[in-house]
Amino acid sequence: MIDIMTTLMTLAQAAPEAAKATNVITEHLGNLIPELILLTGGVLCLMTGLGREEGTRKATAWIAGASLLLAIIFIPNIHTITKGFYTKEILDMSGFIKLAACSIGFLLLLVSAAVPDLLPQTKEAEKASKFDPGNIFRGEYFAFFLFSLVGLMLTAGAKDLIWLFLALELTSLPTYVMVASARKNIAAQEAGVKYFFLGALSAAIFLYGFALIYGATGHTDLTEIKNVIAAQNLANGELSGMLITGLVLTILGFCFKIAAFPMHYYAADVYQGASSAVTAFLAFVPKAAGFAALIIILSTVGWIYGPEKNHLPEILEILLWVIAVASMFLGNVLGMIQKSVKRALAYSSVAHSGYMVIGLLVGIPAVASDSAIGNGIAAIIFYLFAYGLASVGSFGILACVRNEKGEEVDSYDEIAGLFKNHKVIAAILALSVFSLLGMPPLMGFLGKIYIFGSAFQAGFIWLVIIAVINSAISGAYYLRIANAAFFGKPAEGITATNTPGRLTGAFIGAVATLVLGFTGGFLVDTASHAAEKPPVLRDDESKDKAAAFDINLEPQAALNKDIYAQ
Amino acid sequence: MMTLAETGLQYPVLAHFLTTGAILFALGMIGFLTRRNLIIVFLCTEMMFQGVVVTLVGLSKYHMNVTGQTFVIFVLTIAACEAALALGLVVLMFRRKRTLDSLSWSQLSG
Amino acid sequence: MTLDFDYAKFIPWFPAIGVIICFICCMKPALRKLAGPACVLSILASFIAACMAYSYVPGVPGSTAAGEGNFAISHLFNWINIGDPEKGGFVANFSYFFDPLTMIMLFVVTGIGTLIATYAMGYMHGERGYARFFAGVALFIFSMTNLVMGDNLLVLYLGWEGVGICSYLLIGYYYDKPIAVEAAKKAFIVNRIGDLGFALGIFLTYMTFGSIEYKVIIPAAQELLAHGAEHAVALTPAVKAAVAQAHSVSPSYLAWIPFLLMLGAFGKSAQLPLFVWLPDAMAGPTPVSALVHAATMVTSGVYMIARLTPIFQLSEYALPVVAVIGGITCLFAGTIALTNNDLKGVFAYSTVSQLGYMFIGVAVISVGGVFHLTTHAFFKALLFLTAGSVMHALAGNLDIRTMSGMRKKMPVTCWLMFFGCLALAGFPFTAGYYSKDLLLGDAIVKGTIGNVPHANWYLVAGILGIITAFITAFYTFRLWFKVFMGPTSWEMGTDEGHEPVDDMEVITDAVAKEAEEADPHHTHHHGPHEMPMWPMNLPLIPLALGAAVLGMIAVGGLGLIAPKWIESMLFNSTQFAAFHPEHSAATDATHHTVEFISGSLAVLGIALAFVFHCWKREWVAVVCKPIKPAINILVGKYYVDELYELLIRRPLHTFGRVLFVFDDYVLAGLVNFASFIPRLAGWAARPTQNGVLQKYGVGMGLGLAITLLIVFYAWLAA
Repeated sequence: MIDIMTTLMTLAQAAPEAAKATNVITEHLGNLIPELILLTGGVLCLMTGLGREEGTRKATAWIAGASLLLAIIFIPNIHTITKGFYTKEILDMSGFIKLAACSIGFLLLLVSAAVPDLLPQTKEAEKASKFDPGNIFRGEYFAFFLFSLVGLMLTAGAKDLIWLFLALELTSLPTYVMVASARKNIAAQEAGVKYFFLGALSAAIFLYGFALIYGATGHTDLTEIKNVIAAQNLANGELSGMLITGLVLTILGFCFKIAAFPMHYYAADVYQGASSAVTAFLAFVPKAAGFAALIIILSTVGWIYGPEKNHLPEILEILLWVIAVASMFLGNVLGMIQKSVKRALAYSSVAHSGYMVIGLLVGIPAVASDSAIGNGIAAIIFYLFAYGLASVGSFGILACVRNEKGEEVDSYDEIAGLFKNHKVIAAILALSVFSLLGMPPLMGFLGKIYIFGSAFQAGFIWLVIIAVINSAISGAYYLRIANAAFFGKPAEGITATNTPGRLTGAFIGAVATLVLGFTGGFLVDTASHAAEKPPVLRDDESKDKAAAFDINLEPQAALNKDIYAQ
Repeated sequence: MMTLAETGLQYPVLAHFLTTGAILFALGMIGFLTRRNLIIVFLCTEMMFQGVVVTLVGLSKYHMNVTGQTFVIFVLTIAACEAALALGLVVLMFRRKRTLDSLSWSQLSG
Repeated sequence: MTLDFDYAKFIPWFPAIGVIICFICCMKPALRKLAGPACVLSILASFIAACMAYSYVPGVPGSTAAGEGNFAISHLFNWINIGDPEKGGFVANFSYFFDPLTMIMLFVVTGIGTLIATYAMGYMHGERGYARFFAGVALFIFSMTNLVMGDNLLVLYLGWEGVGICSYLLIGYYYDKPIAVEAAKKAFIVNRIGDLGFALGIFLTYMTFGSIEYKVIIPAAQELLAHGAEHAVALTPAVKAAVAQAHSVSPSYLAWIPFLLMLGAFGKSAQLPLFVWLPDAMAGPTPVSALVHAATMVTSGVYMIARLTPIFQLSEYALPVVAVIGGITCLFAGTIALTNNDLKGVFAYSTVSQLGYMFIGVAVISVGGVFHLTTHAFFKALLFLTAGSVMHALAGNLDIRTMSGMRKKMPVTCWLMFFGCLALAGFPFTAGYYSKDLLLGDAIVKGTIGNVPHANWYLVAGILGIITAFITAFYTFRLWFKVFMGPTSWEMGTDEGHEPVDDMEVITDAVAKEAEEADPHHTHHHGPHEMPMWPMNLPLIPLALGAAVLGMIAVGGLGLIAPKWIESMLFNSTQFAAFHPEHSAATDATHHTVEFISGSLAVLGIALAFVFHCWKREWVAVVCKPIKPAINILVGKYYVDELYELLIRRPLHTFGRVLFVFDDYVLAGLVNFASFIPRLAGWAARPTQNGVLQKYGVGMGLGLAITLLIVFYAWLAA
């Protein structure tokens, strides 16, 4: 009898535990539904892309689009986006980045839906009498497109170093193929080579960083890492050398993804060589993934150092400061002297990374508030949205226009006088570059206000001054683009491609920068809420659990602890 | 210069693993920067990955948990993916230019 | 507290749809006829929505939302939210603020807007740029409704600048006439001066209170004025924070805010010294003069002061200054109107003068200010539109010296204008009589009670207003008698009808011919003629009725609505939440005396005008001879324009030339030099981007190595 009672009681106690465990799993899976949808969509694309019927193959793009739209609906708490302040349930940071990924991804899909159609090898293969699956690139292209977006979304929700590494690689590997996809185009191939090899180098660098972080903390789970770092800081008042080295390597490795100094060298060549639609993809997706990863890694360290307990550790702060300043200056001064519009925009992408790194320096303020300004992370994720829309608009337009040889336009001479014959196209281009420049009332302006404002509040006055100077320098080439498009002498033989998708995508992007510039308040609110809830939670309860892993590189100390020495 | 035996240690300690990893990593990087044949350049990145792998394994032993070794499995998987991509790319380029000299791919610049 | 009526927040957005339709009509010549009706219907929709919203607004008589505080906010969307609103963050949302003052302004803007737009459908018929005109009108109504409905100073400012732009566009409607272009520029530039003050005022308000929302700054200002006395309504945390912040800043901030805001009001509402643009603005089409430059836009300064009355009380000098400036402008513009011979010019100066009355009204915190705004909107719109009919009939002739006895040609217009003139003159028991005498009575009461600071300033303003009442009656009926009475004679103007050519709207000959047939009065070969009933004279009838009896209705005189409706309405507005007007037997007596005096003066003025301009016209020359110099000054409009030209424009122009030279040779050089540096840096950095894979790898590796060396150095040093 007593036995039964005891068993029952044990069961009664165990049941909630078991239920809790299941809940955790379902909750995790529930958070991943958008990714699962996109993965399914990607696999479907692989199949339909190889369909024997042309109709089946043409359906591939539609499947990709549908899965993107479906994924938006299933983002957790997506319905809270239009709610203002003071809502309990919120879209968390990964949710916000997933929203950006899916919505801007959809525009990118519109812009690049025609890429496989326009590839010479696909054209030949589809015209051929014999079915030639080896050269039809359609399925792979859209599948890789979706897989890369899945990588971005997984990065944003990463809870573990291994997860983070896999997600980042999932973001990057498909893009290498997408860049090199135009087999007949020598520039695209060169871009592919450079992108791939330098990408592999950077992957090795941040992977080494990961290994050292693991070594310094003994965990790959990010929350655990956070706790150990906090405990280390509490015990020693500073971080161990191995941890700092790991963080530095990681940050530098991620700089490749965001195209920031000193890993920015590839950006101009790759962006210029890839076809414009793919460039639009490169300008947003890896950059967003890189920033998501940086935010996650830095939030394990936390903005809790320095005299006022609202800074990063000094060494990381110096590093990020240099990265921000050098990226801004290099991007803008190099952008200024370009003859190629695409290259100028590529350098501007480097500069934009510099602006966003300022937000990383500011970070999440120690005291949670409903303030959007002052929260650097909120500023970054909002800026990413603004930058994504504007880059879809600008690169999308470059993809829309062909010169007399049938190549995508590239130089200032070729976009000159675009307004005369293609009014809408020129207007979209102008709107997008103005948004990149940060001209009020466009969304880019709001983004810059939030970044610079948060830096100002956090006391990075010099950084704000440098950033403003850089905005002024960037005006030189942005305005030159708009000026050429509107007032230049029209070039001969410039035609708009018959790809309504591209124009629609660019149009939506440009109009969104305008509309959201006026009504973006709700997005700012959402971003500031989202930034309060990064994947690495503010979790203080398990601090005591964390053993004081006090590892450093001094051999003697290591020896004492080494289990093999016993 | 003491030998391993003279230190009184029977087994390599963490520092040895870390040093080996770092040396592999650095060698890989130097190879990447100095060699021009794209296949060798790629193999150098693989060497950097192996440096990381050695580091991870050593740290995993040190911490007495297996997460580090789990990580290694995934790293190897990704390395395999990259190898596949690299081979595809190298074949493509060789068809194009009949050379694998990285200097022949430097038209885009400035 | 939000309203449970969701459509109210779309009141401004119906005209926005109208703008889009009209814009499409501009682009497609085939659709251009739709522009007028689309514009009218969109404004009418706003009016209907405003009517439907009425009973939900707290504070209005017969409100169903009684007891819920004295205002309601309808939230459209979050616009700018920087920081935590509870802690001094900057919040400016697209939210709309509803209280009785808003409702009155809405009725005026959308109601009169509908009538004027209807009239304009006839007036502008066959005019080139027909659709462009209506796009401008709809855009104007959109901006104006935002101006009166916005729940913070930024939306007010947005609307303020929006109406400014519409005013500029509509004055310059005839962009091929140099005079219209000049007038448009003048209006825009003079308003810049005022708007600069207004913008600085908003900045200072934010610095002082940490907010620009009415729901915070108005109660906060009231709290400051009450010096911590007991309140019926508990203060919200935001208001408490605003009060605390206001206590922490320099007191001079509080004193400066009203004066800066005042500058904006004086610019927009054409008060001394910034009134010069309004008379020139008559170069626009007459419906524009009626809508923008008489009924609505120029009263936005009055609205702003009425809305922010507690803020204006923060400085003890502010409201007395407003009153005196209002009084002086009132008399000043009235005297100019005495000798003006331009049909629209007389009404333009009279508008300036009447705006002066309104400023006296809001300065003495009288219901009369906004009441007069309302009645003035009716009768001045009526006067302008009937003047437009006369001008239309005479092919653009505006010189009243050339007109006489037009009542035989245009009987309906004649009698419609008669009602307008009666109301403007303040003839007993017309609308203007009630509103004007209410505010003058309050001014005299305030000036004589003497328990307020600077009471005699109010007294001066009141007396100036009473004197002007006489002048107003005289110049109004001088015009009416001259134009409509006496022997019939006229001269035709030079307008060639409405030539159907436009850049944007290419009209074929067939369309023009069709327009001609449909609307024969546009040909001027048969002399002047009455306007058609629809769509021109019919919309004037409600205006005439309003001019005649609105005053009586609003004070509850006819028993149609609650007694003292207008008073209970306005004193329930937010800004008067803690305000109790003086009421006693003595003040009532003063009011009656003022009413009697100014009513008699009005009758006297009309009688004098009858004598000189109808009965014995030859006496004018006799009387004028001895006072010729004085009349010359009046004809020269006190030479204000010439004075400004000499004192401001010329020196500025010279200064500008100097700056131009400086800019061209010094600044341009500096700018070129400044742009040279980043370019140089770019050239210097270019070799790093030489396109070689390994070189890029070296760059990355160097970055890595240097960083790691620094880290190790720092770590060793520590």
